[in-house]
Amino acid sequence: MNHIVSVSNVSKNYNLGQVVVPALRGVSLDVAEGEFLAIAGPSGSGKTTLLNLVGCVDTPSAGTVTVDGKQTGLLCERDLTRLRLHTIGFIFQSFNLVSVLSVLQNVELPLLLQRALSARERKQRVLALLDRVGIREYSKHRPSELSGGQRQRVAIARALVTRPKLVLADEPTANLDSVTGTNILNLMKELNQSETTTFIFSTHDARVWAYASAVVRLADGQIQDRVSAEEAVRAGGLPTGRPA
Amino acid sequence: MGFLLDLRIAFRSLFQHSRRTFFLATAIAGVTALLILLNALSAGVSETMIRAATTLSTGHVNVGGFFKVTSSSGGPVVTEYEKVIEAVRKSVPEMESMVHRGRGWAKIISDLGSTQAGITGIEIKNEPGFRKVIELVSGRLEDLAEPNTMLVFESQVERLKVRVGDAVTLSAQTTRGAANTIDCRIVAIAKDMGLMSKFGVFVPVETTRALYQLRSDTTGAIHIYLKPKFIPDVTAIAARLRGQLEKLGWTVMDADPNPFWMKFQTVAREDWTGQKLDVTTWEDEVSFITWTLTVLRGLTAVLLTILIAIVITGIMNTMWIAIRERTREIGTLRAIGMQRGGVLRMFLYESLLLGLIGTGTGALAGAGLGAALNAARIHVPLSVQLFLMSDRVQLALHAGGLVRAALFITLVTTLAALYPAYRAARLKPVSAMSHFG
Repeated sequence: MNHIVSVSNVSKNYNLGQVVVPALRGVSLDVAEGEFLAIAGPSGSGKTTLLNLVGCVDTPSAGTVTVDGKQTGLLCERDLTRLRLHTIGFIFQSFNLVSVLSVLQNVELPLLLQRALSARERKQRVLALLDRVGIREYSKHRPSELSGGQRQRVAIARALVTRPKLVLADEPTANLDSVTGTNILNLMKELNQSETTTFIFSTHDARVWAYASAVVRLADGQIQDRVSAEEAVRAGGLPTGRPA
Repeated sequence: MGFLLDLRIAFRSLFQHSRRTFFLATAIAGVTALLILLNALSAGVSETMIRAATTLSTGHVNVGGFFKVTSSSGGPVVTEYEKVIEAVRKSVPEMESMVHRGRGWAKIISDLGSTQAGITGIEIKNEPGFRKVIELVSGRLEDLAEPNTMLVFESQVERLKVRVGDAVTLSAQTTRGAANTIDCRIVAIAKDMGLMSKFGVFVPVETTRALYQLRSDTTGAIHIYLKPKFIPDVTAIAARLRGQLEKLGWTVMDADPNPFWMKFQTVAREDWTGQKLDVTTWEDEVSFITWTLTVLRGLTAVLLTILIAIVITGIMNTMWIAIRERTREIGTLRAIGMQRGGVLRMFLYESLLLGLIGTGTGALAGAGLGAALNAARIHVPLSVQLFLMSDRVQLALHAGGLVRAALFITLVTTLAALYPAYRAARLKPVSAMSHFG
């Protein structure tokens, strides 16, 4: 089985003044192509840090991260940016859309950065994707004119527009009501299945696990276990971390 | 493609913060307008001075000189001037026109007053520039073609208490040291043209020869007028002409950046006789008043430095605020694949756009205000007229100057954003995305 992501014995420490705070401790994880993997854990367990390392927006203090066969620690800043642009799509908890651009322009942004398609091709692809996520009629709207669910749909379209191999979603439903959250997850799952795009998303919401092909449970910066969605749902609750 | 995207984001960011953009663009427009007005004033004064000076007392380059009969007596005379004119014609291809004028210093005596004045002998039919600059109050310039006639300025009229048609007597020492007088008739009275018109009158060149008892092949100086594009090169052209005249056998005085009348005492002290030529520029001949230009230019430079410092501070502060406000956006753009250069360009374009809007508006405002001031024909006090060589302020507004000022301020505003933009580009995506504020 091909691994799109391999995390090997990774640690990440943050320095808060004189104090060193470990966010991840010796984490190892392989993610196969096409997986719909949930990273579960309570706040502060290291979910976002792990996604940041896999997404090449942060560097590990120790260990190696390999994305699409490239060991990120060996890449320069420019190559890391290129890897993010061509291989990874990001969906953020707060949507992180560019407020001064329209929906269409936000989604078109990564394509413009890639400089691979003509204006006509770009527009066709963007509109098709907006159609797919159900917000084509809002293509000329600004993000501020949309609801939270609609914004997250724009963010999903932006993450997928370059047809990346990997999409990282950090708490994609955290800022949404339960109905909208369910719709977004359904959409992500559908795209995962139709486009065979690998999704890794973080969540501390147990209801979301049911959508995942597997759930990796984190606590105190360490992987507690990796279980199927059914097992995770059956077990219920989040790992509480090591006893003090 | 990327350029248009960066430009689009920059433009919309400016538009989104319309209040801040408005204030900053207004400040930039103000600075640009002020720069344009200051430059126009400096250029206007300079042009007025050059025009007046090159009409009244000097060409752009001059070949004057002194002829000494004995080592202690002589005058500002060029002998066999036609040979010199021929040499000049061959040596100065940049020349547009050339005139020769008599030079001297004499006492003018009227029935009711007297005054000392510089005497300039001209051939009015060969002086088209003179006609353009001189503004007559009464009389006719054409009458200056007749021998023993005189043009005086208004301020001399007050001292001499004369009017057109009145007779005056010129009294001077000849080159041999003998006293001589000649009677002249006032044929024209002209408006004052600053300091030099206070102490100068014009007579036909034959009259100067008669007054100083000179031969017909003598003159006071040859004034060379250059084609406009060569005017800034006067010093180099004068130096070259000096060398050429020496090569052709004339004795030429060393370069001395002073008007001819300030060299009388030096020449009188020197132990030589015969002819020495002196090549000067218009700046040398009016060096006693060009300090006003230096002061004006210095003042402009100081003001400009202060204004630019204000613009730089304003732009840098605005950029820091913009970057702080948009740190998360920068982090997102970096995360989704924008290179550092893209972030840098985005902020530079924002500043460039702001600069273009501000300077464009400022250039229009400056040009409009300048044109309005020119139309108002603002008169200056007499003391200022002396140095300005004009009775009113004239701003020189040239399209090239407007564009240069606008481009300069735009460049400054863009460069002022360079460091903040560089810092924004260096932000780590992960830290930028986690920024709140």
